[in-house]
Amino acid sequence: MRLVTFVLCLALAGTARAQSLPSEPISVGNGRFVFGGEFFVTYGSEDPGFFNYNDYEYNALRNVRAAVSTEVRISRHVQALGEARLEHGDEFSAYALFVRLKPWAERRFDVQLGRVPPTFGAFTKTIYAYNNIVIGQPLAYQYLLSLRSDSVPGTADDLLRMRGRGWLSEFPVGNPARAAGLPIVNTARYDTGVQVHGVVGLVEWTGAVTAGSLSDPRTGDNNGRPQYAGRVVAHALPGLHFGVSGARGPWLDESLDEPLTGTGAARDYTQTAVGVDVEASHGPWVARGEWLRSSWSLPELGPPAIADPVLADSLIAEARYRLRPGLSLAVRGDGLLFSDVAGAGGVSPWEANVGRFEAAITASVIRNIMAKFAWQRNWREGGRVRHDTLIAGQLVYWF
Amino acid sequence: MALAVVSPVRAFATATLAQTAPGGIRGRFILRRAAKPSERRPEVADPGAGAPREPVDRRRAVVYLEQAPRPAFDEREPARASMDQRNERFVPHVLPVMVGTTVDFPNSDLTYHNVFSLSRAKRFDLGRYAAGKSKSVRMDRPGVVRVFCDIHSHMNAYVLVFAHPFFDVTELDGRYELASVPAGTYAVVGWYEGEPRVTRSVTVAAGTWAELDLPEP
Repeated sequence: MRLVTFVLCLALAGTARAQSLPSEPISVGNGRFVFGGEFFVTYGSEDPGFFNYNDYEYNALRNVRAAVSTEVRISRHVQALGEARLEHGDEFSAYALFVRLKPWAERRFDVQLGRVPPTFGAFTKTIYAYNNIVIGQPLAYQYLLSLRSDSVPGTADDLLRMRGRGWLSEFPVGNPARAAGLPIVNTARYDTGVQVHGVVGLVEWTGAVTAGSLSDPRTGDNNGRPQYAGRVVAHALPGLHFGVSGARGPWLDESLDEPLTGTGAARDYTQTAVGVDVEASHGPWVARGEWLRSSWSLPELGPPAIADPVLADSLIAEARYRLRPGLSLAVRGDGLLFSDVAGAGGVSPWEANVGRFEAAITASVIRNIMAKFAWQRNWREGGRVRHDTLIAGQLVYWF
Repeated sequence: MALAVVSPVRAFATATLAQTAPGGIRGRFILRRAAKPSERRPEVADPGAGAPREPVDRRRAVVYLEQAPRPAFDEREPARASMDQRNERFVPHVLPVMVGTTVDFPNSDLTYHNVFSLSRAKRFDLGRYAAGKSKSVRMDRPGVVRVFCDIHSHMNAYVLVFAHPFFDVTELDGRYELASVPAGTYAVVGWYEGEPRVTRSVTVAAGTWAELDLPEP
């Protein structure tokens, strides 16, 4: 009998080698300890306009991150979760650290206590490279405004002078040092408090009471009053989700209580935000959009005073199309528009309106290793750098 | 389940070769330790836990002939097999088929799934599709096709594509049976979760069953 040499063994072995890196979480102790990880290197253009700088005063287009997340299943009703990160090669942090209680193990109802993930918004997970279809984050979740929680403008002109900085700002009331401003929604760190989450039919809801604010999540309370946040997502159809988010809480630090004597305490000034979002997907397409509005109330000090809360509107639209297996094209356009404030020189937006368009191509050799290349155009109606075109590459491995 | 899905392929092989080769090879593939059930990634960015799901059964392996007799490669009618998406799992977790088989991927969940593979043996991406829908892929090259869901990272499975019909998915106790193997000497391979684990040689006499256990080293 003639035998035909069959090369299946070679094919099997070759493919197995290509998939030899962990492609799923590492589980030890009979599933009691589960570890996941994300490692990425991003390198891009210099960003002299600070369009991509984040809360830690680093350019998000130049970053190295090693993050390990852990879930400890103490029982069917109690889990402990955490994430440790090393960012920019030298900055270590406990990004998340909380206990999850499940009173009914088989029902989708959870209570989370500790440093919990954000409740508000549809784009908070863009802080994770493998969840982000491009490289930059949406402006509302990253771009640094001039507002600070430990320092406030004495007049409308103080505020208008800081327009378009995109990074360091300084105000005469409170901490006089120059420091980074705050984004609308800060995803660079988690807030601390209690989060309750449930699913009823096609509706998923989340409520949270936390120490910080959307712009300034905190490890501990800094003004004596909590923030309340909520989000409801309706899974109307498979592949079609609608979300509504809201949050309200004091945003100024109690170190301002003394300078603000006579006009109230820090806890009297709130950040209030509402947002609506939609996600639709079918076949090779995924598209998402979100509109959100945030307001911050500020003390009325000297003239010309800031009489009303300052507003920011954000509009985000993004889409990804799978060109072929392992290769996709993504685009995102977003912008921030700010309300007018009357200064001595006239009326103008309190921050410089800013916009961004980013396109990225992502290639995956295996499922959990991806390479991205992105082209980003930023423009701003103020500041030293009015527009800038940036490019960046990113290599991501996750399990 | 896996055996039931593959049975049309094996039945055809049996019918083709039975006149000349009534014997075969049987025994046990003895795994020292089965892989742990695949877990969700720690959900540190989610406000709550995902929906409860049953663990994936990862106790089954595949045993096959490394080399096969010439008649095994004869043209035959294309077969069909199915890998379901149910409760955020692929069922079965391991699906061996012959080259030319069309594998259906029905979605039996209420959520979208997006089946894809970047394996060299077959690269495909079926896109997102809803409950009650099914999409298909024709497996046209031998090799291992690692299957994933783009939406649910804990979903993964294997489709093993063979150029001959001499393969079997093991029972939970490791038993396998390669029927209708003509007389001759063969290398038998035990494969488990991504790679061949053990290879043994065995001689089949005409019309008889050769017993061969495959202990994992």
